[in-house]
Amino acid sequence: MSMSQGGGRDRRGLVRSPQNLAAGLSLVFLAALALWLTRGLSQGHLNAMGPGMLPDWLAYGVGLCGLALLVAAFVKDGEPLEAWSLRGPLFVVVAILAFAVTIRPFSFGPISIPGLGMIVAGPLAIIIGGYAAPEAQLRPLLVLAFGLTPFCMVLFGDLLNLPIPIFPQSLAGLMPDGWSQKTILRVLAALMAVVAVVIHFAGGRRKDGRDGKIDVATQPEEI
Amino acid sequence: MGDLVSNLSLGFGVALSLQNLGLAFLGCLVGTLIGVLPGVGPIATIAMLLPITFGLDPVGALIMLAGIYYGAQYGGSTTAILVNIPGEATSVVTTLDGHQMARQGRAGVALGIAAIGSFFAGTVATIVIAALGAPLTRLALIFGPAEYFSLMVMGLVFAVVLARGSILKAIAMILVGVLLSTVGLDLETGEERMTLGLPFLIDGIDFAVLAMGVFGIAEILRNLDHTETRDVVRQAIGRLLPNRDDFRQSYKPVLRGTLIGATLGILPGNGAVLGPFASYTVEKKLAKDSSRFGRGAIEGVAGPESANNAGAQTSFIPLLTLGIPPNAVMALMVGAMTIHGIVPGPQVMTRNPELFWGMIASMWVGNLMLLIINLPLVGMWVRLLKVPYHLMFPAILMFCCIGIYSINSLPTDVMFIGFFGIVGYMLIKFGFEPAPMLLGFVLGKLLEENLRRALILSRGSLETFIDRPVSGVLLLVAVALLVVALLPSIRKGRDEVFTE
Amino acid sequence: MKKIALTLAAGLALAATGAQAQGNYPQRPITMIVPFAAGGPTDVIARIVGDHMSRTLGQQIVIENVAGAGGTTGITRGAQSQPDGYTIMMGHMGTHGAAPALYPNLKYDPAKDFAPIGLAAGTPIVIVAKKDFPANDLKGFLDYMKANADKVNMAHAGVGSVSHSTGIFFNSVIKAKPTMVAYRGTGPALNDLMANTVDYMTDQIVNVAPQILGGNIKAFAIATPERSPALPNVPTTKEAGLPDYQVSAWNAVFAPKGTSPEIVAKLNDALVKALDDEGTRKRLLDLGGVIPSKEERTPAALQKLVESEVARWTPVLKAAGASAE
Repeated sequence: MSMSQGGGRDRRGLVRSPQNLAAGLSLVFLAALALWLTRGLSQGHLNAMGPGMLPDWLAYGVGLCGLALLVAAFVKDGEPLEAWSLRGPLFVVVAILAFAVTIRPFSFGPISIPGLGMIVAGPLAIIIGGYAAPEAQLRPLLVLAFGLTPFCMVLFGDLLNLPIPIFPQSLAGLMPDGWSQKTILRVLAALMAVVAVVIHFAGGRRKDGRDGKIDVATQPEEI
Repeated sequence: MGDLVSNLSLGFGVALSLQNLGLAFLGCLVGTLIGVLPGVGPIATIAMLLPITFGLDPVGALIMLAGIYYGAQYGGSTTAILVNIPGEATSVVTTLDGHQMARQGRAGVALGIAAIGSFFAGTVATIVIAALGAPLTRLALIFGPAEYFSLMVMGLVFAVVLARGSILKAIAMILVGVLLSTVGLDLETGEERMTLGLPFLIDGIDFAVLAMGVFGIAEILRNLDHTETRDVVRQAIGRLLPNRDDFRQSYKPVLRGTLIGATLGILPGNGAVLGPFASYTVEKKLAKDSSRFGRGAIEGVAGPESANNAGAQTSFIPLLTLGIPPNAVMALMVGAMTIHGIVPGPQVMTRNPELFWGMIASMWVGNLMLLIINLPLVGMWVRLLKVPYHLMFPAILMFCCIGIYSINSLPTDVMFIGFFGIVGYMLIKFGFEPAPMLLGFVLGKLLEENLRRALILSRGSLETFIDRPVSGVLLLVAVALLVVALLPSIRKGRDEVFTE
Repeated sequence: MKKIALTLAAGLALAATGAQAQGNYPQRPITMIVPFAAGGPTDVIARIVGDHMSRTLGQQIVIENVAGAGGTTGITRGAQSQPDGYTIMMGHMGTHGAAPALYPNLKYDPAKDFAPIGLAAGTPIVIVAKKDFPANDLKGFLDYMKANADKVNMAHAGVGSVSHSTGIFFNSVIKAKPTMVAYRGTGPALNDLMANTVDYMTDQIVNVAPQILGGNIKAFAIATPERSPALPNVPTTKEAGLPDYQVSAWNAVFAPKGTSPEIVAKLNDALVKALDDEGTRKRLLDLGGVIPSKEERTPAALQKLVESEVARWTPVLKAAGASAE
């Protein structure tokens, strides 16, 4: 949410446009980073442009724009910097990472996660990601996760035959021998869908419930 | 003329067979439904569904694949309008005004005009291909590296015009986009540039990953910040289809967009990607009130969508007449043809006329199918917008992850959309717009390649860009456009200085 | 939540044992990693061959395209996967021959980290030039090159591509140093060749045959011992006077190191049957592909080929200073 109440117009502080200041700084930083990363590349000459020539020119251009913005930040009035929220980006990024490390076998240094497939990665992404919203509630997220994931499993794994891992192979070992991959997939999807329905209806009528007031009014014990 | 008629009747005879009609319908339907999923664009869709076509005969397989292609394109536009996620480079422009229209409750109108404009463009493009296909390929051969470079420069100037806000920030974003496109292995020398030693950066950053992160994830993050404005979208669902006023505003942009898209699509080397950007620029400059653009101007959807579809059709020309795929999608088609035993090349027109003309005729059939499939679906998509956002965005998140993973089966791609999502979030906080950056990224690769190639071939002489007539003209247009774009800001700046 | 915990526990437990019933291999679909984008020559060959192998093995072969870094990304993944026979890959001359020279940080050793299954098909290399090139045969081409060394351009599809490696080899054989012009893929390269913008190129037959037959470009020679039925009028390099230039972009199936010999034998058997099948042969030959002879189809022959290819390409590419560094 924006914190601009007095607005940018009346600012008489040193920095007249915090947004431009931040923008300019980030551009200059980016330009410096690019120049540093390409420091080893040869520039070449015009009739044989080296790999470093264009990136360097571009970095200078970006840096120049950044400097211009910095100047503008002190000279011209502009927008203030909006507040950053931590919850949203944090949960979304964790959800994406959770999906990425569980969909296929993943190893990073000493940690090694076996591939768990969409059946785990999907719900993880939905549930963790869902908590990025302030008004998140577990039950609707669970229903969504257990309802949407089987749909994706059937659509991508069965109908479209995508080479995307759906369930861990070890899980298939638990199933009776002789069941084909597709059958296992369908059975698992059906199971998940049933779980979703159960969770949805086991919630009773107080699905959106924060309606404390109404409850209080009708409960005879309160009187 | 008589030849054209007889060829077209041969073509329609093939395309209208019951089996091929069914395949076209199936292709369009499946393509649309998959293309709608955020994170899945035309290339991913076709690659996904390619194996399905193996059991079919060559003509049927190609008709179905083409149907999947248009369907996925249109599905990508649908996602661009509804949730601000472009499925492909060509849908980026649609997000600018299309999504704004959706926020104002005019999602149905946007989707409708996109479908109708695309159908018109597709019809015209089909006629163009049928009548002028072969001669037009010669036009494409005039374009050498110098011409392509100048075309890309012109494209970058379009990106400046696209900007809604500060021109300085737009220029900065374009430069950043081009800079990002240089990450990876250098084409000429094989040296690693800015890859930080990470193996998955060797081929550079994937467009889909960048677009998904900077548009899709960042959009989710931004929406999570502004709880009040989100619900407004849900309530005001207006008309479902365009009305007469909308048509009156849109028919000229559709005509212009078709012309622009059809011309640019012929150029091998992915000239078609410029179509929607060029159309948007033209419409914005021609409009009486250009400040409407970026806030839900219907011309900003009608023109680019028509250009998009026209370009998609005419980009088949280099494939069908020369056997050379102008972009990644056509390369997949080449593979499909090869698997079915048809070696694409100049002789396809003479050796397999039913294939050649059947495909052309089925292009029109496919466009008709798209219209039939999508107009009724508009109501369904619009109703989707009513789902509470705190439940919809996790679903979008999961689809994005699946979609990105399905492109290359690389978990690192998925992680990157998180990274770029944060980057996009930062960009929004700092007042930058992501669209010029994406355009810079797309054009950057082509720009640098052709610049270096032209200089190698001219042995370092810069005059080659001006000596060659086509290139010189394009550069002139670019400079003129830039001046026209910057003039108002310069004048405004001067006024401010004077009044202060 | 409980479901996830249960799955995790079961997964971790069973992953530890990693046992697989080998007797009835295969029991589920097999993934074949193709380290290039769908639609390219290697992908097409993989699909054609995989289609028939599926029938013999009784389980589907699912193609998974993992493109990147000249094919090494996909091969790296394949090399690091479980040697249970359910992940195999289609490598080629680039990934298992030229890669060690081009990619110093390569995460696999072509000769040591794989259980070779067998050769699939090769695509011969053709030397092609623009239509207006002032020579009509290989000899004329070589004479022109000697006289005008610094005016000639050679096109290629990027470092790591077949046209690049074979082009460098060609230049080293004829001792020329043309200006190299890189393109992003064969399509754009061919386009400029047809527009007379660049002078010559060496590439796979499947890419260039249509343009040769259509009269848009010239072909000087094909680098195989015998003429190809797809291009009967193009002489071999031996006939044209350059017998030292023999190269073919071979494609072969590999499994990760440690795959059991029984599984290797089953896969090789399926591959050989595919190569003997009339329908598959026709599709491969239509591409201009060269089907390996019976002796060349064994895993041992493939291993020897890989070793000799690495030995051949490393000095050539290092001498030209070509490396993805």
